[in-house]
Amino acid sequence: MAKIELINVTKKFGKITALEDISLHIKDKEFFVLFGPAGAGKTTILNNIAGIQIPDEGVVKIGDEIVNQTDPANRNVAMVFENYALYPHLSVYDNMASPLRSPKFKKDENYIKEKVQEIAAMMSIDHLLERLPSQLSNGQRQRVALGRALVRTPNVFLMDEPLAHLDAKLRNQMRTELKAMQAKFASTSIYVTHDFMEAMSLGDRIAIINKGKIIQVGTGDEIYYMPHDEFVAQLMGEPEINIIDGKLHKDEETYSVTLTQCNKTYELPKEDNVYEKLAAVSGDSIHAAFRPQDIVYSFEPKKGYVKGTVFSYESIGNKAVLMVKVGSSLLRMIAPNGLVVKLDSDVYIDFHISHIMFFEAETTEYICRYNEAGILALVEELTKEA
Amino acid sequence: MNEKMKKRLSAVLKNGALAIYAVFALFPLFWMILLSFKSDAEMFTTTFIFNPTLSNYEAVLFQSDYFRFFLDSIIVAGGAVLISVLAGVPAAYALARYDFKKKEDIAFQILSFKFAPEILVVLPLFMIYQKIGLYDTYFGLIWVYQLISMPLLIWVVRGYFEDISVEIEHAAQVDGYSWYHIFLRTLLPLIKPGLVSAALLAFIFAWNSFTFPLMLAGTNVEPVTVAALKYLASDTVHYGQMAVAATVSALPAVIFALCIQKHLVRGLSFGAVKG
Repeated sequence: MAKIELINVTKKFGKITALEDISLHIKDKEFFVLFGPAGAGKTTILNNIAGIQIPDEGVVKIGDEIVNQTDPANRNVAMVFENYALYPHLSVYDNMASPLRSPKFKKDENYIKEKVQEIAAMMSIDHLLERLPSQLSNGQRQRVALGRALVRTPNVFLMDEPLAHLDAKLRNQMRTELKAMQAKFASTSIYVTHDFMEAMSLGDRIAIINKGKIIQVGTGDEIYYMPHDEFVAQLMGEPEINIIDGKLHKDEETYSVTLTQCNKTYELPKEDNVYEKLAAVSGDSIHAAFRPQDIVYSFEPKKGYVKGTVFSYESIGNKAVLMVKVGSSLLRMIAPNGLVVKLDSDVYIDFHISHIMFFEAETTEYICRYNEAGILALVEELTKEA
Repeated sequence: MNEKMKKRLSAVLKNGALAIYAVFALFPLFWMILLSFKSDAEMFTTTFIFNPTLSNYEAVLFQSDYFRFFLDSIIVAGGAVLISVLAGVPAAYALARYDFKKKEDIAFQILSFKFAPEILVVLPLFMIYQKIGLYDTYFGLIWVYQLISMPLLIWVVRGYFEDISVEIEHAAQVDGYSWYHIFLRTLLPLIKPGLVSAALLAFIFAWNSFTFPLMLAGTNVEPVTVAALKYLASDTVHYGQMAVAATVSALPAVIFALCIQKHLVRGLSFGAVKG
């Protein structure tokens, strides 16, 4: 097990820059998640750590050693590929035994048999050992690919969307199992995903990647509560965050914000940090953001509530997403399941103003929110516990 | 007419068409074998009913140098395929995996060797071979046969390499294998169906080649295709003996094809890659 460092790594494919000046410090025994939309460069980062690709600029370190010139075979990493990359001509057993038979990590056959059996049982694929990859379903193949990586104890596990092709039930089960396994093996793991739930539940820390750049690194809570910009805020959270235009009024004593589409002004409770940050904003345009759970609704008119119309009502199992049209903007909020809602009927909404997040109108960068200190303290405590 | 009848009728028509084609394709072979059992006297006077004789076989196999010609053919065609495989498989790998300047041009250039009519290049080759001492040698023929066997092999095998996802190689590297090990133990088994069928086709093309051995060899080295001409004497044509020579020379290709029939079915490299 070892820590992994990337220092100013740049990787280009022809004229396309896949990674631009990436610096990451992944601690020993950390479960580190790379999270971002498709084509962001997540897999390229893994390939650079594994040695499948070599950075054009910058340094990759495993432990304290610079490995830019080291072959993949000599880096002692295990990798799970997104398209499984199983050996089609070998049985599941031989596929999983392959790393333990290589000249580099050779073990005797008895050990191999035991180890493969153990891992196969863990992955519940022990009844498939004699089959060829072509005789497996996608979910089974993915588990074989995971199993092939887990038979060794490498410096680092690199996992490229290893749960992407599993069905929902199996995915939840494997997610829990992966987390337990990682704790048991005490291994450094780097995990690529585009699934918000996976990123939040698995990662000790998460790096948000977009267009070959790292946008933000932090724990799940840190990123969820204090996203670096609107892009990150939209990425983290299901249903997506609501971002609406606002106008800032800075009077002597109290500040207030008008939500333009809703045509309503909220006075901002006084908190030094928030007032300081907002005072530094030039101009009065601002973006205000609310998580869906921070907007409340009522079908009866209530004092201070803003009138809108129901745009859609989607049940997602244990809860539902209510979309309300106010002015020209659509707002998402959480509603209980099983409501009888007529489309286009009137609905009245109100915002938890103390949960507001402010973003720059032009750069879309994060400005501030209430109780930042409290959130940071919580994050620190959680990190310590883990 | 109901559905069932229609189905049956279409089956009958389909099978009938296939049967007609089979007769069309196999009749020349059948005719050749028939001729090989006829004596010269009965050659033009009988069709299907005659007194079968083995005299043609005796004359060709035991009273002429046929086995020497046969051996020459095996050496030349076999050697050509061997060299094509040794040089062509790495070339195909490079064309499939690496990006280099003018890659597609080079690949097309290789394929275009097969386009040129043999008769077009054989005269300059004849003069060059005379000069550099390759005329009428085994190596000379093996070399020139690369024009026939190499392009075919490279293009078929390249397609197979392209079908193997590059991640399989990466996975093997991460598993701790060296490149040579991966190439020999992982990639070769996966391209085997393509390699074997391409090698077989290349062998048949090289075996059947006529123009090159006719012009570039003839005394020391004489493959069966050229040697079969010997049975056309100036006074008489021994059709029976020619038929024997042709029948026997067709055997190796038939035997090889039967032996490797299962490899001719493509499909091993599919299935493990996400579809």
